[in-house]
Amino acid sequence: MPNIKSGRRLVSLVICSILVFAANSMAAQPKGKLTTSDKKVIDFLVNDWGKDYSVTSVDIAMDAVGVKQSEETRFRIGSYIKAHPELHEVIRRWGWVTLVLTPDEKLIARVLINAEREGKPNPSVSEIAKAVGTGEGQTNSGLAMLERYEILKRDNAAGGPSYTVVPRYLKWEPRLDFLFHTVTLERGRRFNTN
Amino acid sequence: MLLVSGKLANEKITIDDSSPEGTARIHVEFDKGKLVKADPDSTILFMGGG
Repeated sequence: MPNIKSGRRLVSLVICSILVFAANSMAAQPKGKLTTSDKKVIDFLVNDWGKDYSVTSVDIAMDAVGVKQSEETRFRIGSYIKAHPELHEVIRRWGWVTLVLTPDEKLIARVLINAEREGKPNPSVSEIAKAVGTGEGQTNSGLAMLERYEILKRDNAAGGPSYTVVPRYLKWEPRLDFLFHTVTLERGRRFNTN
Repeated sequence: MLLVSGKLANEKITIDDSSPEGTARIHVEFDKGKLVKADPDSTILFMGGG
């Protein structure tokens, strides 16, 4: 009997070890690792940038190659572009911010930046939503994305969260920053230009 | 606008843009280089390229 008990203990120990090993292996995987479809989006962009003054953004490229829109995917690809300016001259010339944000996110950033530049109080989420013409849910998603990219900082104030702009973006080319010009041709091609 | 009146002059094009001064959205449509729609009406257009 002692042999059976110790055998069971050994089996349990082996199973536990396998589970711990599997959990550690999953945790060790890099979170920002590009998937095959992410790489397709990057390849599309690198090939598209510069043609017809193109500064096409990640969201448009995802549509072009048939990748389902998702904030996680867009953030993963955008973070890669942010970390790899050597990919293309367009990233170095126009900046990663121009390429990774959606038009709504750029407008949300601009509401906060303009308020801070003009010395006005930080607008609330509902004020931002009204100014940009987005619903509050969409505005919150945009604010969260801008926070993830460290363009905004969130303050958990008593009256609800408020956001401030990271100083470097306040000094970043007033009136020329966070712009978008989306061109759609009837034959189907869609791109951003500057 | 250089594209609209140059390389893409034979195309039907829409441009979605915004006012750099604020957050107003601008939507303009061109057909073969000619403006066919501008929203809002107060949109001011500078056509480059002569």
